[in-house]
Amino acid sequence: MTRPPPYGAIAEFAEAETLVAAVRAARAAGWSRLEAHAPHPVPDAAIALGARAAPVGWIAVGAGIMGAAIAYGTAWYLSVYDYPLNVGGRPPHAWPAFLPAAYIVGVLWAAVAALIGMLWLNGLPSLHHPVFYARGFHRASQDRYFLYLMAEDPRFEAASALDFLRTLDALRVSEVRAA
Amino acid sequence: MLLMGASVALAAAGCDGPDEHGHPLHARPRGADEAASYATVLDLEGLGRGVLARTRAGHAVKIEGNPQHPASLGATDIFAEAAVLSLHDPHRSHRIRHNGRPQAPAGLDAVLAALPATLRVNGGAGLRLLTGPVASPTLARLIGDVLAAFPGAQWHQHDPLADDDALAGAVAAFGQPVAVLPDLARAQAVLCLGADPLGPGPAQLRQARDWSTARRAGSPPRLFVAEATPSLTGARADRRIALHPAEAEGFARAVAATLGVSGLAKGAAHAAAPDIAAALLAAAPAAIVLAGRGQPPAVHALAHAMNQALGARGVALRLIASPFARPEPMAASLVALTTAMRSGEVTHLLVLGANPVQDAPAFLAFEQAMRRVPFTLHAGLWEDETARASRWHVPLLHPLEAWGDSLAFDGTPAIRQPATRPVVDDARDALGLLGKILAAPLPAREAVIATWMDRWGGIGFDDRWTEALEVGTAGPPSPTISPALRPDWDRPGEAPPATLTAIFAPDAGLRDEAQNAWLQELPRALTGLAWGNAALFDPQTAATLGLAPGDEVELTLDGRSVLAACWPVAGHAPGCVTLPLGGGRKAAGAVGTGRGFDATMLRPADGAWTAPGLVVRRTGARASLVATAAPYRADDAGAVPRVQPGEALAPIARGTSLHPDWPYEGRAWGMAIDVDACIGCNACAIACQAENNVPVVGPQELARGRGMHWLRVDRYDFDASEAPAASFQPVPCMQCEKAPCEPVCPVNATVHDNEGLNVMVHARCVGTRTCSNNCPYKVRRFNWDDHRPAMDTPRRNPDVSLRPRGVMEKCTYCTHRISAARSAATLEGRELRDGEVETACQRACPTQAITFGDLNAPGSAVAAQRHDARSYALLGDLGTRPRTTYLAQRVPRDGT
Amino acid sequence: MSVSTRPVVAATLRPGAWGFRLGLLLALAGVAVLAAAIAALLVLGIGVWGNNIPHVWGFDLIAYAWWIGIANAASLFAAVLVLRRHGLRTAVNRFAEAVALAAVLASALYPILHLGRPWLFHWTVAYPATTGLWPQFGSPLVWDFWGIMAHVIVTALFWYIGLIPDLATLRDRTATQGRLGLARTYGLFALGWRGSVVHWHRHQAAYRLVAALVLPLLLSAQTVVALEFATTLVPAWHQARLPVHMVVTGLPSGLGVVLAMAAVLRHALSIERIIDDTDMDLLARLLACAALASGAAYAHEIFTGLVFAKGAAQEAFTARAFGAGAPAYWGAILLSVLLPQLLWRPGLRLRAAVLIPVGLLAAAGVWLDRWSLVVGGLLRERLPTHAVAYVPTAAEWALLAGSAALFGAVLLLFGRAIPVVAIFEIRHEESLEDVAEEER
Repeated sequence: MTRPPPYGAIAEFAEAETLVAAVRAARAAGWSRLEAHAPHPVPDAAIALGARAAPVGWIAVGAGIMGAAIAYGTAWYLSVYDYPLNVGGRPPHAWPAFLPAAYIVGVLWAAVAALIGMLWLNGLPSLHHPVFYARGFHRASQDRYFLYLMAEDPRFEAASALDFLRTLDALRVSEVRAA
Repeated sequence: MLLMGASVALAAAGCDGPDEHGHPLHARPRGADEAASYATVLDLEGLGRGVLARTRAGHAVKIEGNPQHPASLGATDIFAEAAVLSLHDPHRSHRIRHNGRPQAPAGLDAVLAALPATLRVNGGAGLRLLTGPVASPTLARLIGDVLAAFPGAQWHQHDPLADDDALAGAVAAFGQPVAVLPDLARAQAVLCLGADPLGPGPAQLRQARDWSTARRAGSPPRLFVAEATPSLTGARADRRIALHPAEAEGFARAVAATLGVSGLAKGAAHAAAPDIAAALLAAAPAAIVLAGRGQPPAVHALAHAMNQALGARGVALRLIASPFARPEPMAASLVALTTAMRSGEVTHLLVLGANPVQDAPAFLAFEQAMRRVPFTLHAGLWEDETARASRWHVPLLHPLEAWGDSLAFDGTPAIRQPATRPVVDDARDALGLLGKILAAPLPAREAVIATWMDRWGGIGFDDRWTEALEVGTAGPPSPTISPALRPDWDRPGEAPPATLTAIFAPDAGLRDEAQNAWLQELPRALTGLAWGNAALFDPQTAATLGLAPGDEVELTLDGRSVLAACWPVAGHAPGCVTLPLGGGRKAAGAVGTGRGFDATMLRPADGAWTAPGLVVRRTGARASLVATAAPYRADDAGAVPRVQPGEALAPIARGTSLHPDWPYEGRAWGMAIDVDACIGCNACAIACQAENNVPVVGPQELARGRGMHWLRVDRYDFDASEAPAASFQPVPCMQCEKAPCEPVCPVNATVHDNEGLNVMVHARCVGTRTCSNNCPYKVRRFNWDDHRPAMDTPRRNPDVSLRPRGVMEKCTYCTHRISAARSAATLEGRELRDGEVETACQRACPTQAITFGDLNAPGSAVAAQRHDARSYALLGDLGTRPRTTYLAQRVPRDGT
Repeated sequence: MSVSTRPVVAATLRPGAWGFRLGLLLALAGVAVLAAAIAALLVLGIGVWGNNIPHVWGFDLIAYAWWIGIANAASLFAAVLVLRRHGLRTAVNRFAEAVALAAVLASALYPILHLGRPWLFHWTVAYPATTGLWPQFGSPLVWDFWGIMAHVIVTALFWYIGLIPDLATLRDRTATQGRLGLARTYGLFALGWRGSVVHWHRHQAAYRLVAALVLPLLLSAQTVVALEFATTLVPAWHQARLPVHMVVTGLPSGLGVVLAMAAVLRHALSIERIIDDTDMDLLARLLACAALASGAAYAHEIFTGLVFAKGAAQEAFTARAFGAGAPAYWGAILLSVLLPQLLWRPGLRLRAAVLIPVGLLAAAGVWLDRWSLVVGGLLRERLPTHAVAYVPTAAEWALLAGSAALFGAVLLLFGRAIPVVAIFEIRHEESLEDVAEEER
């Protein structure tokens, strides 16, 4: 019975700076499918990995405009066409009175979209992920930094990946395998 | 609305149903729910006002005025409107009682059957009848029969509000009792010496109508009022003089002297007399002098003499014989009865409808005397104080359940027919009880027919009888009499000491029906007090005594004390305190017991209207008083602008709006209220309450500001030296075209319909109350509690839904009446006629101050009023575009 | 560095100290009172309150506006901290967010409970119904429905987005302790957060974005409450400045509550090292500043009320500020404007015995301001209608106390179950500090 191939290789670091250096080194070495894990934001590492935050903003803006438009449009359609009523002698399309709710709903949609968009871009929620098999990975949420080279990388080969990681001043280097 | 069906209705007259169940005048069968009106008559102070009792499915639900009756002319007063509530009062006496224990009717019948034989032994020597003032021909006839059958028997009348002094004054002047009928439509100058022709009373509706007719015609009588206690007439006077009772005779004498009345035994002077006398002389012979309740006999005689001197009789004044069957000084009659009872002369006392244990002066100790009588029988609507002191108590039929007859203030007779089946099974009527004593029991209807058969004769009787029932009157008013003034008419009274004087007065909103919750909850026009009375002070006297409104005071007179609340009233004469009668009841049920204080505790035994020597002591406590208005309400908001003759107000501006106008192509309902005609009688408020099933909330809730009246009458005070001293403004929903209440409702529970009504959809309301916040007129009401259980009685108007807890409600312009009229017009294939829809408030108004109709209809009355020079919108500058608009009050140019 | 998060996590998970237990017991007793008050309200109706015509609103709207004000100021504070990446945020922003969320939950009770028929509140929502009717979209109360809903959701999102990494920390800590059930619960809400720096990058973007969105929403939330008053024809309410006035005068309440709570918690949870003296000092000065801003709003109100207002508006203001309404009006100024000025004295800024009462009294002062507006604003109506004074009943006091207890209970339970201060922020901060030290 052969062991299944590993999910990847992982290195554990004590300091954020070491992680940033490691990420840069890995990119320089041509690794393309890799992930860095930290207990707090490490913007340099993220930038080194080519992360972009802008899409979250665009999603939110788009959703906000859509939400506001839908809110206004709903109020307009329902008040003017579906069930028009004489309310205090005001015309059914009393546009100034429709604006506050449209504005609020727009903000609401934008905020919800920011969360959902962030999660979607991050591929979350995903309660299972191979990296959780890594030894000591629970400290990634507390005080340790990890660089994870994925098996999906065309360059990945277990031994060479481990060798590469060992060059990075890591506290520990290991294969990621299902327990 | 119901009148439309009159022609149809007559055909259905007097068919099925029990014999005693009335005679429909206007019947409009509709499905199973039969609606019909019956012309009948309701008494106030013993005199009748013709009404139409509107019934639904056999239950009387609403009282409206009978246009063909001279004491109503289609209008109602608060007491008539409230009668349907008393009729259906669940706390009415339901059982015959002996010594307080319920008895089967048979027990009473056995006792009554044995009575004639017992009495006949000594010619009825121990028998005494005690009634209220009797003008009813049939009741008087039966009493006469009793007195004839038992020569030893005696009949006494008692009414705490009886004006014995007027009787004495008339006897002094003419040697006989007379009734004075002023014609306020013709008079050009009227001097009221404590008289209140526009105030509550049996002639109020007629006199107020006449006064407003003259005002509307542009020839209003100059109204001068000299009085101690502010009255509705005083509020609307052109000139009002606050007069201490001790000055009353001197003032009248001064005017008479200036007028040059002959036969004056004594002269006097008063600063205001020359002006007033000159005005009266200028208007003579259309000038009249009226003396009112509470004035000494000499003042009444002076008034008669002045009218004679002015030549008013036959021009603006008419004298008739007193409509009462036996005019007599009632206080003396009651004193005689009490003395007889105390001395043991009385063996049998029958009290029919009166409540002397409560309303006789406490000094008389009527109850102790009465308890010495072996056989006492009280017949009354309620188990009141007298019922408790009597051996036998018999529930009496309500006037709306009973046959009878009545005379109006002008002597116009009317037949009282039952408008509904008796609500109380065991109830009897006074006629039946007298019949038993006569050992000739006769159904009440037969007794009444017998009376009128006597008068009219048998030929053509049936037609005449039917007509009387249909029309609501049974003959013409009393003929004019022309008694000559006696040469010795002037008998000057002794000037009372000018100490702090107690003035006893009828309560402005209550007579003997303290059990009636509508009346209790109705704020009195001039004081704003509800659910009880207060000792009324002039602001100066109150300030001198260190009294704030609502302070508790101990009032002491001749060694008797009573605790009362103090309430200052602008325009009250200084040096006297008005003590309204009718409060402080001891046995008036949950509604009426202990409301306010009992002024009869202090009233002298002779029933005097004023008593000097009152001692007022502040107790330091606060009285529990329900006040719905401050003692003085200035018109800071310009709610009731006043115009001088010829002056025009700016036309009602449409106001600017961000949005285009909403077009109303079809009908546009609107209302115009003539503030100039409003006398503050409150009939509209009670009519609205009755029509729209408006709940009563009780004193605690009312004191917390949770009253439910859809229509309130706001009072605005002006400096008392100015004229008029007060203005009254009925405030229903303004039905604004740019209603501020509507856009703030989150659920569309209040919207406009296509005829411009501001519609409140109770079923849709979630109760945010934000509409009330945004109503500048504050006419919206909220159901803080579930009033439906108390409202869901046969009294309710089935056309108007009951509102659940937690929703708003307000005036609807009687939208159900609009719907009914619209349906009727559609069925008949015609357009609505102007005036066809009458709102309940409009219908009740004695001065026709309220006009309702279609503003878009060319030539409609309401459109004409809207374009009147006096037309204005309340808070018009807010841009709400009210559909309810007002006509400004007119004030005389010179102010005198 | 490896120990840095321990106190926070320990504070979260430590079995209750007696102080915590007593506090929670009190709070839960208060919540029971709230439940009883709500039950009485639903069974007996709104008549158990002291409202009347014209005082159709009383404690209900006062408390609503007040809680919104607390939530607003607390969220505003947290959001500004996040946006400005201010040092204080490590200590206080999560906590301020929690205060905001608890306050907004307390406030959200009132729009429903104040209805005459609360069980029909859903009629303000646009959904197809058999009646065919829709809400009236022009009503400020419908704006308010969206306003309060958006407020709850966005405040919760703001709080939750910041919380996700911390939940992952708790997941991992409890898992290593072998408390797998708890770990699974935390794990579920952590959504599988694995600390990827790329995720962190987007997370930070979303967090700041929501923080930025909180700002206009907060303004609009308080503004919509203010508009419910300002759009009416009541002379004292019908003024354009009211929204700004309510936003600004609301600030001391939220900051006061955050300050008082911070002072309580740092002692109760022994996290003085995390919410340190500098934090408290800054927060105290912020409150004093907000009080000054609030004072400026009052000065403007008094000036416009006396000088520019005419007729009914001026009389209404005079009655409110110098007539029968004066105690509440000047009480509000005393407590929410003048009292916090004490905090300019450095010596007083670090004493819990000063900070707690000053913070809470500032909030009480804002409550008085809302009373002055809602109740005192009706002293002068358009017509001289005989207004019966509004006297709150026991049922209303119970509801107010109960909503405060709910606020306290929610905060205590938050403190118990989830980190009071943002763990990841502290780590980040300390990580940066380490760098700085090394560079030195």
